[in-house]
Amino acid sequence: MVAIAQAEGAVDTPMKASSSRPLAATLMLTDGTCFYGRGAGVTGLASGELVFTTAMTGYQEALTDPSYRGQLLMFTYPLIGNYGVSAGRAQSDSLQASGVIVATLSDAGSDQRSLGSYLARHGVPTMHGVDTRAIALWTRRHGAMPGVMSIHQEEHAPSLAILRMMLDACSYDTRDFVAESTVARPEVHGAGSRRVALLDCGNKRSVIDELVRRDTQVIVLPAHTSAADIMALHPAGVVVSNGPGNPECAMHVVETIRELYGTVPLFGICLGHQLLALAAGATTYKLKFGHRGANHPVQDTATGHAFVTTQNHGYAVDADSLPADLLVSHRNLNDDTVEGLRHRTLPIRSVQFHPEGAPGPKDADVLLDEWLGIAA
Amino acid sequence: MTERVLIIGSGPIVIGQAAEFDYSGTQACLACREAGARTILVNSNPATIQTDPHVADVVYIEPLTVSSLEQIIARERPDGVIATVGGQTGLNLTVALAEAGVLERYNVRILGTGLETIRRGEDRALFAATLEAVGEPILPSRAVTSVQEALQVAAEIGYPVMCRSAYALGGAGSGFATDPSALDDKVSSAQAFSVTGQVLVERSLYGWAELEYEVIRDSQDNCLIVCNMENLDPMGVHTGDSIVVAPSQTLSDDEYHRLRAAAMRVVRALGVEGACNVQFALERSSGDYYVIEVNPRLSRSSALASKATGYPIAKVATRIAVGNSLPQIRNDITGTSAFFEPALDYVVMKIPRWPFDKFKGLDGRIGTSMRSTGEVMAIGRSFEEAMSKALRSIDTPRTVGLAETDLEALLITPNGARLPAMLQAMRAGWEPQRIADLTSIHPWFIDRLATLVREVVPGSPGAYKMVDTCAGEFEARTPYFYRSEMLGGQNEALPLSGPKAIILGAGPIRIGQGIEFDYATVHACLALTKAGVKSIIVNNNPETVSTDYSTSDRLYFEPLDIDAVEAVVRNEGKGLLGVIPQFGGQTAINLVASLQERGIRILGTRPGCIDAAEDRGQASDVLRRAGIPTPPWKTVEHWDDLKRVAAEVGFPVLLRPSYVLSGSGMIVARSVEDVERYLQIHANLPLTQPLLVDKFLEGAVELNVDAVSDGHDMLAVIMEQLDECGVHSGDSAEVYPAQTISPEVLRTVECYTRTIARAFQVVGLVNVQYAVQDDRVYVLEVNPRASRSVPFASKASGIPLADLAVRAILGDRLNELDIPAPRTDRVAVKNVVFPFRVFPGLDPVLGPEMQSTGESMGLGATFGAAYWKAWLGAGLRAVPFGGTVYISAPDEDPRTIDCLMAGLRTVGCRIVVAPGTHSPDASVEVVAPEDVDVSAFGLAIVLGRSRAEIGVLRRAVDARVAGISTRGGLRAMIRALQEGVPDLSLMPTGA
Repeated sequence: MVAIAQAEGAVDTPMKASSSRPLAATLMLTDGTCFYGRGAGVTGLASGELVFTTAMTGYQEALTDPSYRGQLLMFTYPLIGNYGVSAGRAQSDSLQASGVIVATLSDAGSDQRSLGSYLARHGVPTMHGVDTRAIALWTRRHGAMPGVMSIHQEEHAPSLAILRMMLDACSYDTRDFVAESTVARPEVHGAGSRRVALLDCGNKRSVIDELVRRDTQVIVLPAHTSAADIMALHPAGVVVSNGPGNPECAMHVVETIRELYGTVPLFGICLGHQLLALAAGATTYKLKFGHRGANHPVQDTATGHAFVTTQNHGYAVDADSLPADLLVSHRNLNDDTVEGLRHRTLPIRSVQFHPEGAPGPKDADVLLDEWLGIAA
Repeated sequence: MTERVLIIGSGPIVIGQAAEFDYSGTQACLACREAGARTILVNSNPATIQTDPHVADVVYIEPLTVSSLEQIIARERPDGVIATVGGQTGLNLTVALAEAGVLERYNVRILGTGLETIRRGEDRALFAATLEAVGEPILPSRAVTSVQEALQVAAEIGYPVMCRSAYALGGAGSGFATDPSALDDKVSSAQAFSVTGQVLVERSLYGWAELEYEVIRDSQDNCLIVCNMENLDPMGVHTGDSIVVAPSQTLSDDEYHRLRAAAMRVVRALGVEGACNVQFALERSSGDYYVIEVNPRLSRSSALASKATGYPIAKVATRIAVGNSLPQIRNDITGTSAFFEPALDYVVMKIPRWPFDKFKGLDGRIGTSMRSTGEVMAIGRSFEEAMSKALRSIDTPRTVGLAETDLEALLITPNGARLPAMLQAMRAGWEPQRIADLTSIHPWFIDRLATLVREVVPGSPGAYKMVDTCAGEFEARTPYFYRSEMLGGQNEALPLSGPKAIILGAGPIRIGQGIEFDYATVHACLALTKAGVKSIIVNNNPETVSTDYSTSDRLYFEPLDIDAVEAVVRNEGKGLLGVIPQFGGQTAINLVASLQERGIRILGTRPGCIDAAEDRGQASDVLRRAGIPTPPWKTVEHWDDLKRVAAEVGFPVLLRPSYVLSGSGMIVARSVEDVERYLQIHANLPLTQPLLVDKFLEGAVELNVDAVSDGHDMLAVIMEQLDECGVHSGDSAEVYPAQTISPEVLRTVECYTRTIARAFQVVGLVNVQYAVQDDRVYVLEVNPRASRSVPFASKASGIPLADLAVRAILGDRLNELDIPAPRTDRVAVKNVVFPFRVFPGLDPVLGPEMQSTGESMGLGATFGAAYWKAWLGAGLRAVPFGGTVYISAPDEDPRTIDCLMAGLRTVGCRIVVAPGTHSPDASVEVVAPEDVDVSAFGLAIVLGRSRAEIGVLRRAVDARVAGISTRGGLRAMIRALQEGVPDLSLMPTGA
C-alpha cells in the first residue's frame, strides 16, 4: 500500500515492456515465499494486501475501482490487456491498486491503447511472467495476506531483508482508506427528476451512471459530510457507496448513517452495505480471502431466485449479529455469507455485491430500480 | 420427480453430428441415475458408450423412427422423454413423435426444453417473432418456399445474401450468393435438405465477428452462462468449421456483458429449460450485433464448452429436465452450487479436422455448411501455447512453398488450409496488417500468430495445471489436467499412487478413425478400473466420452505426440505399468516406435510385433512361414514395369495408385489391354510412391475378424462383409454371424487367426481381414490393434472384446476368465453412412479409400429383419417397399436380376430399368440413366460406372433416395428380400 514508485523516464512517455533492459520482479509473501517474474510499469517497491480476482474481462474497470486501493491486485485470467484501455471504462480518475500481477501482459497492438503503457503512465508497479495460478492457490490456502513486490533492473534486486521489513510494516486492516478515497468536494451528476445523495466512500463511476440512467440527479458527497448537510439537500434517498478497506476503520461514516437511519431511504453497496449494517448495530468480520470476481452466485432468500454478481470485498456482515428488523435478503450460494439486507419496514436495502457490474454482469440491477421505486 | 426417462440418441455419426452426442447422451443417463430416475435409451449407433448396458437401465439399438420409438414407448411406458441430448436427430424425432400423437397417446411428457421452445428455436419466422418481442435484433431476412420468392427477397435486401434452411444438420445446404444465378443454385439445393421446405434469405454479414454463448436456464428462471467462445474466423464460416477460442479474447467487459445479457434474454424468451447455444454476429466499430442462431439443445459447442470449463453442461441440463433447479445441483468438482459461471485461468483452442485429405477431389473451401468431421482442443496458459498445442494435435500437414498468389488466395477464401497458410505467410515475412486485411481476422489474433511463428514457446520444464472451473478459488477435486510450459510453474498433477496405466486416445474424429476408437478407449479404461489398475487417459478430442473427466482416474488433455505423451509418462513416474496404444487407432499405434526409443514400456502386443504386422513385406514373410496364404502381390516403381509385373502377379490384378481419387483410381485389370488403358490415363502423372499390384480375388467374399489374444489362447468374432473385395472394409456393410460361409471355412479362419495371433505374439486385440474365394481363405491385412468394428463385434456377439483385451494386457489368461458364449440366436447387420450429401462435388461410389463417417446396427431374429433395421437405422428415408426401383446393372448375371426383381415385386415395388439391363419381360419400363428422375423413387440400384449412371447415384443422394452401388450390396438385398416384408419388432439388447 506504500507505493514507492519511480517512473522509468518521464511519466507521460509510454514504455515498452520489452525494452532493451528487461525488468525483473520479486513478490514476497508473509511466510517468506517468494515468486519471481518480469517487471513492467515502473521500477520500485509496492506493498499491500495480496488479492486475486477471477473476472476474465474488465481489467481496466478493476484497476480503477477505488475498492482495490491498498491492494496488490492479481488477475487469475492469464492474458490481461488484450483489448487495450479506453477512457470511458475507468471507474475513477486514477489507478487504484498499489501493484498489479498478471501472467501475461498482453499487447493490444498500439502503444497508446496498450495496458502496459497505461500502467507505466500511471506509475503502477506491475509483475508479469509469473505463475499466477500458484499465487492464487497460495492465497486460497493462507488467506488474503500482505505482500510486497519489487520491480527492478535485473542487477538491482533489493535484498530480501528490505522486502521483509516492508512486509512487516504493511497493515491493510487498520487503515482508514475511505478518508483518502472520497471526493474532496460535492459533485452533481445528471438532471433526473429525483435527487439521490451518494456518500462517496470510494465510489465507482458506474454506480453514478446507473442512477443517472434511471432519471436521477446524483449528488456525490464527501464521506465526512454530516447527516444534517445531507438532509439539507432533501434527497429522495441516500446511497452509501462501495470503497476500500475494513468497514470498522470508517466509523465516522457509520455515525453519519446511524443519524440518517430511519429518516431517509438508504441503499448500501459493498462497503456501503457493511457500513449500513454496522450503523444498525451488526458486526462485520474478515473473510479468509474475500470474494473477487464476476461469477459469484447470489440467491434471493425470499424467492429462491439466483443470479450472478460481481463482487469485490474482503469483509462480510455477520448474519448472527443483525438486529431483528434487518433481514438477510440475499445469500451467497457458495459459502452462505450475507449478500444483502432489507429492513422489515423501512426503505433500507443493501447489497454486498455490485448491481452495477462494470466489470461483470448486471443481472441484479433491478434492485436499484426497486429501491428507487420505494425511495421516490 | 420423473421416474422413467426415455433418452433418444443421435444415430450414426455424420458430418455435423458426431461423438459429442454420445457424450451428452451418456451424461444424461448418468445424471438421471444420480437423480434416481430409470433410463431407457434408444440409438441405432452401436459405436457408442451410451448403448452399453452399464450406462442406461434399458438399451434399444433400434432405428430412430417414429414407428420403432412408438413400439419402445408402448413397451416401456416412460413418464418423460428428453429431446435435447440426441442432436438434431433427437430433436426432430421428438417433434415427430409429438406431432404423430404418440407422446399424448402414451402420456409421455417432454422433459426440460419443450416443444414450443424447440419450434421457436427452429422455425425462423417464429424465432424472429420471439426475439422481436424482447427487442433482440435479428437479421433482416425472410423465409421463402420457392426460388422465385427467394430471388424477389434478395432483390429487396440486396446482394450478397445468405441463404439457409430450417431444421438442417450442421447448416447443410446453406451458403452465400452474390448474384441471382448463384442464389438459384443454392436455394434449389438447400431445399433438398430441409424437412420443412423453408429456406431463409438474409443480409450477408461477411467480416463481422462471430461469438457464441453457452447458456443454462432452469424451470425457476435461474439463468447463467457457462462459457463464451470467439470464432477466429469471422462470420461466413460455420461455427463447427471455425477455429474457436474460449473464453473470448478481444471483447471488452462491456461487449462481453452486452452479449451475455442478450443471450440470457433470448433464452428466457424461448423458454429453454436446459442448455442452449446462442450465436451472435458483432460489428465492432458500431457495436451493432445480431442474434444469428440458437440451438435449444446440447450441441457440439456445448461439448466443447464443457471440456473447456470442466462444467458438465449435459449433466446439469438433464438434472434440470428431471426437475432440479440450478441452486440445488452440486458442482462435483468444487462441492459448491452448480449455479455459478466458470472462471477460466487458461486459454482453450479448438481447430476443426476436415476430410479434405480423404476427398482429394474437393477444393477444401469451407463456408456456412459444415464440412469438418471432428476437432481437436488444446489448453495453454497463453493464446500462443494453446494454438501451438492445437496445431500439434490436429495431425494435418502444414503448407510449405506455396507461391505468393496461391497463398493470397488461401487467405482470402475460407478453407481448410487457411491457418497453415497464414503461418506460412508470417514465416515469409508478410505484414500482419496485410494478413488481417485479406482474412478479416481480428488483428489481435494475427499478432498472436505472428508471435507464435517468431518465438519458440518458452522451453521451461513445464507443469501440469488443473481444470477446476473456478481459477483456483475453491478447493477442487478433479482429475483433469493440462500442461503448460509457460512461466515454469508449479505442478499440480502429483503422481497417482498405486498401479496405473496410460491409455492413448485416438484424437480427432476423421474418416477412417471415428468414434469406434473412443468406444474402445473408454472400455479399456473401465476394464483397468475393474482390475484395480488406475486409468490415465491422454487425448485431445473434446467431443468424446473418453475426455469426460469422470471417465478415467486421470485425464491429461494433451496432444497425442511423442513429447506430450513422454511428459505424462515422466510425470506419473513410479507405479506406472506402461502405455497402452492399441485402443487409440493408428494415431496411437504411430507413437509406438518413438515411445520405445525413449525407453517407455508398451503394454500389450510388443512394438516389434506391431511393426512386423504394419509392414507389408514383413507381414507377408511371417504369414508365409506360418503357412497362411495371401494373395500374390508386387510393387512397381516405374510405369514401364507395370505390364510385366501385372503378368507376373497374374490377372486379374488390382492396381492401387497412391493418389486415389474417390474410387476412380483403383481398377481391376483383367488383361494386358486393361493395363494399357490404365497407363494411358495415369502414366502422365509421376509415380511418387510405389504402385501396389495385388492379385484380385474375383467374386471373393471378405471376412472381417476382431480377435482378442493373450499370446496363447484366442477368441475371434467373425463378421461377413456384404460388399465385395475392393470396397474399403470400413465402407462395407457386414453381418454377424456370417451367413453364407461354410463351417469348414469358418474353422479355417479361426485357425488362421489363432496362428496369426501367435505368430505376431498378439496380447490384446488384433483385426484380420480375409478373402474367401472358392472356399480358399486368404489373409488380406493384419492390424495389431483395436479396429473400428470392435463396438459392432462386441455388441453383435455379446463378447466384450476391449475388456478382455485389457485383462490379457494385464497378464490374465483368457481360459481363466468368465467369458460369455457368443450370441448366435439373432442376427446383427451393420450398415454404413456416407457424407456424399455434404459434398456436392463427390461421386457417390465406393472404392478402396474409406469414405464413410458412421454406422448403424440392426438386430433381428432373421437376416432380413436385421438388414432392414440397419437400413432404417442408417437414417435412410424408408424401406423401399411399395416404391419404384431403378435398376442399371448391364453386366449383371440375368439370374441375379431375375431374383432381385422377383424379390422386389413381392414387397410391392414397381421396377424401371436402364437400357441394356436384363429384364424378364417386356412390361418393365426402360429409361436411360440420363433421363431418369429418381427423386420420387424408393431406391436406385446402379452397378455400372458410366458418367450417366454415377449421375443417377448423385441425384439419388441429393434427393435422399437410397442407393445400392455394389454387387455385394445387391446380393445382400436379394437375400433380405427373400424373407418378404420383415417383422421389424423390437429386439432387446439384453446382455
